[in-house]
Amino acid sequence: MPPKQVQLSVANVSKSFAGKNGDVNVLDDLSFSINESDFVSIIGPSGCGKTTIFNIIAGLLEPDSGTITYRGQEIDSLRGRVGYMMQKDLLFPWRTVLGNVLLGLETRGVDAREAEAKAHEYLKQFGLAGFENAYPKTLSGGMRQRVALIRTLIMDPDIPLLDEPFSALDYQTRLYLEGVLKDAVQTYKKTVILVTHDIDEAVALSKRVVVLSGRPARVKVVHEIDIDATSPVTARNDANFATYFKTLCAELDIQTEKTA
Amino acid sequence: MTMTIQTAAPVRAKRKLKLARKRATFDTTLGRAFLQIAAVAIFFALWEAGVHAGYVSAFLMGSPSGIFATFYKLILSGELLADSWITLFEAILGFVIGTIFGSLFGLALWYSVFVAKLVEPFIVAINSVPKIALAPIVVLWFGTGLISKVALAVSLTALVALIAAYQAAKDADVDLQSLMISMGADKHQVFWKAVVPSTLPAIIATFRINIGFGLVGAVVGEFISSQRGLGHMIFLASSLYDLNSVWVGLFTLMILGFVLYYVIDIIERTSLPWKQATTSHQIQV
Ligand SMILES: Nc1ncnc2c1ncn2[C@@H]1O[C@H](COP(=O)(O)OP(=O)(O)OP(=O)(O)O)[C@@H](O)[C@H]1O
Ligand SMILES: [Mg+2]
Repeated sequence: MPPKQVQLSVANVSKSFAGKNGDVNVLDDLSFSINESDFVSIIGPSGCGKTTIFNIIAGLLEPDSGTITYRGQEIDSLRGRVGYMMQKDLLFPWRTVLGNVLLGLETRGVDAREAEAKAHEYLKQFGLAGFENAYPKTLSGGMRQRVALIRTLIMDPDIPLLDEPFSALDYQTRLYLEGVLKDAVQTYKKTVILVTHDIDEAVALSKRVVVLSGRPARVKVVHEIDIDATSPVTARNDANFATYFKTLCAELDIQTEKTA
Repeated sequence: MTMTIQTAAPVRAKRKLKLARKRATFDTTLGRAFLQIAAVAIFFALWEAGVHAGYVSAFLMGSPSGIFATFYKLILSGELLADSWITLFEAILGFVIGTIFGSLFGLALWYSVFVAKLVEPFIVAINSVPKIALAPIVVLWFGTGLISKVALAVSLTALVALIAAYQAAKDADVDLQSLMISMGADKHQVFWKAVVPSTLPAIIATFRINIGFGLVGAVVGEFISSQRGLGHMIFLASSLYDLNSVWVGLFTLMILGFVLYYVIDIIERTSLPWKQATTSHQIQV
């Protein structure tokens, strides 16, 4: 195996918010790095600062201190180069499915005909052909998530940042979309950072899992996941799956054994 | 004993069903229109009967028959139509100019929080003046012609539109804007693609209020000084105690307002198709 090249590294990042009872320290000296063609999941307790990390990488928030390095260059943020899929699906209600998918390409000034051809291709791949002119209000939750995912991936971002993209979905739809995501990532050779609450999902999809501590967030441990499966469903049947699952549960202080 | 209970229940149920069915026959567009027209007809019939019986003074209140006669006469002479057109023109012109400038200015304030904070107290101050009180000055400045009426209508509508547009722009979903920024959009793109579309429902909602204010501006302007228009006609007729003509003017204004309201309604429905998807089925409670 060739040595892993670091693509993005976040070093010593701190961030606090002004709260009613003084400052709330959300990120404290947080560091981690992402390799080329990596698939990293970030898990951690609710409210520990996962979304805040994404907001900083995407350039929506400024860190109080710390640096972000991208392919050896120190940068302020990856604004314009990430595809940020936020915790809510955040479709523009006045835009149709096609219009929503085209948003990023429009902002970038891509030729309209070219962009539309690309959009149709993606919609077909994600099973949304025929819904081009539907408004978000008329779609199911799973379809809305798919539209948001296409909107993120179609821009061909350097790194898609996916913030709990499937957390609002039923298990069946989630398994299906995990498969779609994994395929898409393999086809387009993307580096992905995924925030999730779902240990199951983290193990099934990623190459590495970063476990964060409670607020202020620090990296507790990073796990390499050595499961060579083609789909998230087969990954769940892998011999090592249960072990990873248990270890991560223990790290998140989730009790797996009943204590009387 | 048991017999009566057994028969009473189905009878009551049947009566309920019959009532429901009767309501259903009227609960259609045509059925409702019939009931509405019937209500108006009964109102006028009672009024006319009251005048004939001497309970209602025809001198102070007018009478439906007199109103219809005057209406017919004024239609034939063409006066009513001419006056209506003038008032309608003034109102619409004032509405359009006021709404466009107000909305644009309100939206533009989104661009600079500094400027917005700077002008906010002035906007509040100007808005707290009852604009009708400006009427005499407006006539002084702009004369007795068309411009003074339009100016008055603009003064009434512009601030409503401005405040609504500014508020809506402030309230525009921050997450949608963040999403665009993360995509690398610049301020103009965020403004045109995220802010402006999300303010449209609020801006269009002001059309309903503002079209009414447009009419108020036009009519008040005509009251104060004019040789034409429905306001002038009403003012003149009431000074001559010609109550029937006053009513004709008022009812014509009502019709104008009514028609304009529905035109706005159509504009609202066709310009926001994405809103339609949600409001088309209202929950029956
Ligand atoms: N703009 C803000 N102002 C003040 N406090 C904030 C702001 N954004 C986040 N916080 C606080 O920072 C902490 C971390 O928030 P964040 O959204 O990053 O959590 P999270 O890990 O994504 O949680 P979840 O898993 O529930 O989505 C929370 O306690 C939150 O209250
Ligand atoms: Mg979050």
